[in-house]
Formats: sequence, C-alpha cells, structure tokens
Amino acid sequence: MSSVAAASPYALGADRAAAGVEEYNFDIVKKFTIMTLVWAVVGMSVGVYIASELAWPFLNFDIPYIEFGRFRPVHTTSVILGFGGSALFATSYYIVQRTCQARLISDFAASFTFWGWQACVVLADASYMMGHTTSREYAEMEWPLALLILVVWVVYMNLFIGTIMRRKQPHIYVANWFYLAFILAVAILHVFNHLAIPVSMFSMKSYSLFSGVQDAMTQWWYGHNMVGFYLTAAFLGMMYYFVPKQAGRPIYSYRLSIVHFWALSFMYMWVGAHHLHWTALPDWTSTLAATFSILLLMPSWGGMINGIMTLSGAWDKLRTDPVMRFMIVALSFYGMSTFEGPMMALKEVNALSHYTNWTVGHVHSGALGWVAMITFGSLYHLIPKLWNTRLYSVRLAAIHFWLATIGILLYIVAMWISGITQGLMWRAYDQFGNLQYSFIESVAAIHPFYVMRMIGGVFFLSGVLVMVFNVTMTILQGKREERQALAAGGLAGANV
Amino acid sequence: MKLGFKHEWIETNIGLMVVITMLAISVAGMVEIIPLFFIKGTVENVAGPRPYTPLELRGRDIYQDNGCFYCHSQMIRPFRDEELRYGHYSLAAESQYDHPFLWGSERTGPDLARIGGKYSNAWHVQHLIDPRSVVSQSIMPGFPWLATTPLNMSDIEARMKALRDVGVPYALTKQEYEADVKKFGPELAKQYYIPNAQQNIIEQANANDYDGRKNGPITEMDAVIAYLQSLGNQVDWSKVNENQLVKDR
Amino acid sequence: MEWFMWFTKFEHTQPLVLVILVVLFVGISYYVYGSSARGKRIESHKNMIFSDDDDKR
Repeated sequence: MSSVAAASPYALGADRAAAGVEEYNFDIVKKFTIMTLVWAVVGMSVGVYIASELAWPFLNFDIPYIEFGRFRPVHTTSVILGFGGSALFATSYYIVQRTCQARLISDFAASFTFWGWQACVVLADASYMMGHTTSREYAEMEWPLALLILVVWVVYMNLFIGTIMRRKQPHIYVANWFYLAFILAVAILHVFNHLAIPVSMFSMKSYSLFSGVQDAMTQWWYGHNMVGFYLTAAFLGMMYYFVPKQAGRPIYSYRLSIVHFWALSFMYMWVGAHHLHWTALPDWTSTLAATFSILLLMPSWGGMINGIMTLSGAWDKLRTDPVMRFMIVALSFYGMSTFEGPMMALKEVNALSHYTNWTVGHVHSGALGWVAMITFGSLYHLIPKLWNTRLYSVRLAAIHFWLATIGILLYIVAMWISGITQGLMWRAYDQFGNLQYSFIESVAAIHPFYVMRMIGGVFFLSGVLVMVFNVTMTILQGKREERQALAAGGLAGANV
Repeated sequence: MKLGFKHEWIETNIGLMVVITMLAISVAGMVEIIPLFFIKGTVENVAGPRPYTPLELRGRDIYQDNGCFYCHSQMIRPFRDEELRYGHYSLAAESQYDHPFLWGSERTGPDLARIGGKYSNAWHVQHLIDPRSVVSQSIMPGFPWLATTPLNMSDIEARMKALRDVGVPYALTKQEYEADVKKFGPELAKQYYIPNAQQNIIEQANANDYDGRKNGPITEMDAVIAYLQSLGNQVDWSKVNENQLVKDR
Repeated sequence: MEWFMWFTKFEHTQPLVLVILVVLFVGISYYVYGSSARGKRIESHKNMIFSDDDDKR
C-alpha cells in the first residue's frame, strides 16, 4: 500500500486542487444518483397505478401492455433494480473510493456498468409489457437480459474488488464488507435462478432447467436472498457509512458489526423456504427455514442496534436535521420488519398470512420504510457533497420526511387490516361447518383498503417529487456557485 | 488467553474476505436445495400427472406471459378450509412437468390448481373477455385480445424440444414415442410426439371448440382455456395411498 | 451415496447443525468480546471513515 496519502486528512483536498483533477471518480456517482431519483419517480408512479388497478379494475382499459399482470413486474423491477440498484451503485462507488482513498480502477468500466444497468432496466420493463417473462418473482427478465445483467455484474464486481485492492488504507471498512457480500451473493443467486434452456437463439422464451418443487425452492432461495443481500446487506453498507458521517461520530460498536456481519451472511441464505410453508415442499426444508428465520432476528437487530446507538449520541440534531430523521425512521422500520418477518415465518402465523395482503404490507414496510428511507437520508447527505454546495432547502426535506412517513403508515396499516381480513374470511365457517364466505366476498371486503393503500402510495410518491425538486435546485445552486467561484479569480483553487 | 487468529487478517485481505464470505453464503443452498433432487418421496409416486399437450402448453405460456400467476396461486395447502374451497391439497407430483413452477405467492384471486372442469368453456370465454359481466365484484383485468389473437404455433416444435431438453418426456424418436405409449397411453403419446405438434394443436382445438367459435381461427383463447381445463384433475385419487403422502412430506 | 443419504435425515442434521452453529457463535463472540485489549484494537478501526474528511461544510 502506498504511503503517499493519509498523512494528514486535510492534505487530500490540497492535493486534489493542486493537481487540478478529480482525485475520485464522482462523475459516475452523480450519474447513478440522478438515475436513482428518475427510477424512484417512474417505479413508484407505476406502483400507484397498479394499486389503482386493484381498487378500480376499469383502469386496465383492456390494454395488454398495462394490464396488472404485465405492469406489476414493471413496478418491482423499476423500484428494485432501477431505484435501489442505482442507489447501490452510486453509494458503493462513493464509499469504496472514500474509504479506500483510491479512485475507481477504470472510468470506462464504471461507465459501462452505468449504461449497461440502465439498459437492463429499460429493456426488462419493456419486455414485460410486451409479454415476456420468466414468471420468477424479481427475476422476470428473460434469458438475453439475464445474460446482460450478468456481464454488467461481473464488471461491477471486478471494479469494486479492484478498487479495494488499490486502497491506500490497510483496513477495509465495514461498509465495504456488506457491499462485497451483496455483490457476491447476488452473482450466485442470479446465475442459479436463471438456469434455463432458450427455445431458440432468436426467441425471448426459455424454459427453466428445474421443474415443480425444485424450481420453487430455487426461486424462493433466490427471492428471499434478494431481500437479504440486495435489499438488506447492501443497504446496511450504506447505513454503515452515511449514518456515522451524518451523526459526526463513529459507529457505535465495531465488534458488533463483525458478529452481525458474519451471522447475517451465513444465516440469511437458509430462510427462503419460508415462502413455501404448507406447500408441496417437504416439511424438513420448511422447518429448517422457519428455524433460521427466527435465529435471523439476532443479526438483523444487531445492525439496527448499531445504527440507532450511533444516532442516539446525537439526539439534539434529530430535532433540527431531517436527514437524521430519515435515518432513524429507516432503522426503526428495519427493526420492525425484521421482527415481523420471523414472526410470519412461523408456520402457524404463515398459515394465516400467506397468500394475503399482509405479505405485501410486510415487503413494503421493508422496502419503503427501510430501503427507501435510508436511501433518501443518504442521498440528502451525499448530493450536497457531490455538487459541492449546501442542500437547497432543509424545510422541503422535512416536508418530504413527513409525506413519506405518513404514506408508509397508510400503506402498511391498509395491508395489515386487509391481509388479516382475507386470512380470516377464507377460513371462516358457518354454524353448519360450511365455508362462510365465497372468495369474491373477501375481494369485495378489502376494497376500501385497496383505496387506502393507493392513497398511501400517492403520499410517498409526492414526497419523492418534493425531493426531486429540492435536489434539482441544489444541483443548479452548486453549478451557479462553481461558475461564480471561477469568475472570482483563477486562484480559487488555492484557498480551498 | 492468546489466540493465533486476528480478525484483522480478513479485514485487511480482500482475497481472504471473498473466500470466507463465499463459504458463509454457499452452505445453505447446498444443504437445502441439493437433497431435493435425491430424496425419494420429494415428488410423490402417484398415477395420473402428465405433461401438457401442445395446445395446453401454449395456453400455459400465455397464462405465464400475462402474469396471471401474480394473482392466482396454484398450490392448495393441507387445511380444511382450502380442501372445502378448492379440493385435495396439491402434490409435488402434480407440478413435476412444470418448467417453471407456477405455484404463485398471492391470492388476489382464487387458487386455480384444480380449476379444470369446474366451469364450462363458455363461462371461461365470457369471464376472460369481461370478468365483471360474470362476477360483478371481480377486480380481474379483462383479456379480450385473447379471443381475437390467432395462436402462434410456428415455434411449437422448438418449445417442445427445449422442454424435452430439460426432462419433459416429449418424443422426438420412435423409441421415445413407444416409451410414452407405455407410460401415458396411445392417445396422449400421440400428443407428445413433437413432429406432429402443429397438427395436434389444430385437432385438439377443433375437437373441443374452447373459444366457442366453430371452425373459426385457433386463438390464444383456445389455448388458455385448454390449459385451464387441464388443471388439477389428472391424479387418480382412487389409487392414492393417503398415508404414504403424509409419510413423504 | 450412502454417506450422503445420512445427511438427508432431519433427525441427524438438526443436532449436527446445532452443535456447529453454537460452537461458531460462541467462538466468534469470545473472540470479539473476550479480551478488552483485543476489543480496543478492533474498535479503533471504526474511526477510519473520518480520515478522509477534507470538507468542513
């Protein structure tokens, strides 16, 4: 490891100014950051639309391309791969450079991951609307797109690990461990879940290598570990960098992070079969999954405790700083949904909750409450740094916070009530021991909650729109300040 | 006590970290998934489950392409209420030819694992074109284009060959055909003979007239309804030993 | 394959896995929390993210 840098923390800025070049590749971080917001708007708008289709089915308009079954994967792919993926690329590139004090090893490879990834999401969305799908939840892209994703992913892995190898710090910071586990796990999951034989070289259609019960197990091994490594581990990496940075104090316990990192990496992979309780999957598999699901509560809460204890030393900032509020609420929702998850993985609870809206509510308390909120908090911290300015409006960020929080609460309450209603109505008997309700009565009963869920979505989406405005103004302000600084004199660099 | 190990070795060595992380995340998949291919009884040995005919197969593809599985499960759980509502709980054997599985994860609409034969073809046509004309409170989208889109059967042989590659007993050769005759009987074996697939589609569609238009073009509606009518009524329950099923689970 | 089938019995693997897990967990916990000197050393790494602070906004 080179000894050039890191002697004085302040030397870096001076070096950079003197050299006149960016020490880090922030250009790629900026691009992914902007696309994070673009995909948030696209994905969540589609989400609100399909939620409306369930409340008012005429909105399907008998148009194949936007019919619920084809539009749903457009929502999930746009938010998970588009919004979440762009956020992870942006923050991982930022964090790996800052903590290794090394520039990404290749600008070209970085650009390739950007255009490749965006192309994947756009093409995947288009292909679902055209009626091409593998039908594997969160892995619906057909084989040509799955291959493209694989190529992008290998380049990403190479770039990330290569940059770590070039680090000027001997130590690899904990945030990078989580990103590394995420990159490795997603590679394995993606490859095995997409094993399929294409109908021909020129056909989008392929047939899964596995069938029935083995296929189901492979898919949900994938499905739940996308939650575990993509939506959890990676965003924990984000948390491990931005929470200490924003709070201005180091993470509460590095030892705890070691324990919960290894526990999380090892244990998450076992739990996928809890999506298949009471199905034709053998009991031993689903019992094993249920057991590990319960155990998983410990490492999950390890992460939450580490984050919250870090923030707890800065309670005073919580009143004035909406960014901190995003982070603490994100961690609270993380703790809440990682408690709810193991509970729903109990076979007895699952018997009621499975197939109902409760599951949908659970996913969204994690996806909106944890993933999106920690992303918003991190981006509000990151964007002013990238464009070298202050946030345009703290007040608007506070408004965003409340819109998002109210939106989530409306959403998950609606889904809890409707999910439990469904579960109870399906298993209700009349005095003669016959089923009390026809299926369609349960559909009619939850209509008000479909409406309520849609309203929750509108709240959340309007919060995002406020953020987009705020961020746009921040970037314009940054650019204006840069021009002014340049106009003020050629020596601007000297007094950084 | 002095230990020879330092966690810093991992924290400062990216190669070691990659290796150990890979180990940590690989164990579970190996332990949980690989045995499913080897343990006898994971897929029950029952008489009846069969591969789809070419027309049903195309119907299944269309069912999949339109995302029907997001709202309709095909997996009945072993509970009394589900037995009353949908029928006998689903067996792994019943989806042994399903590439991919379509068990679903949500019941926005009812389970379809045993929908076959419960409603007439005419009901399905009407329901798929305009769900609310049959079930007034339904929130299902309408699929009127199914009735007007001619069924594409140009690549049916390629589709069946791909499925044959992943293990479905569709026949390309005389021997495979003979084997199918032995296992499924001559009627079905004829359906599984790949070179005759297009002819088989036309014959099955014309013989059953799923979309209700005699001698009209063969549409996607024909295929989807043929598929739906094949669901869940294949197992010969009179020959099933319920105790063995319980043991297999 | 005989030896392999042994692992497919849940009665066999459950205690086996349990033992391995407990040993691992106790081992890691002991390593991490067992000695205060080692603890101090490990905790010192958490400050590294502030070593690149070149901005005073």
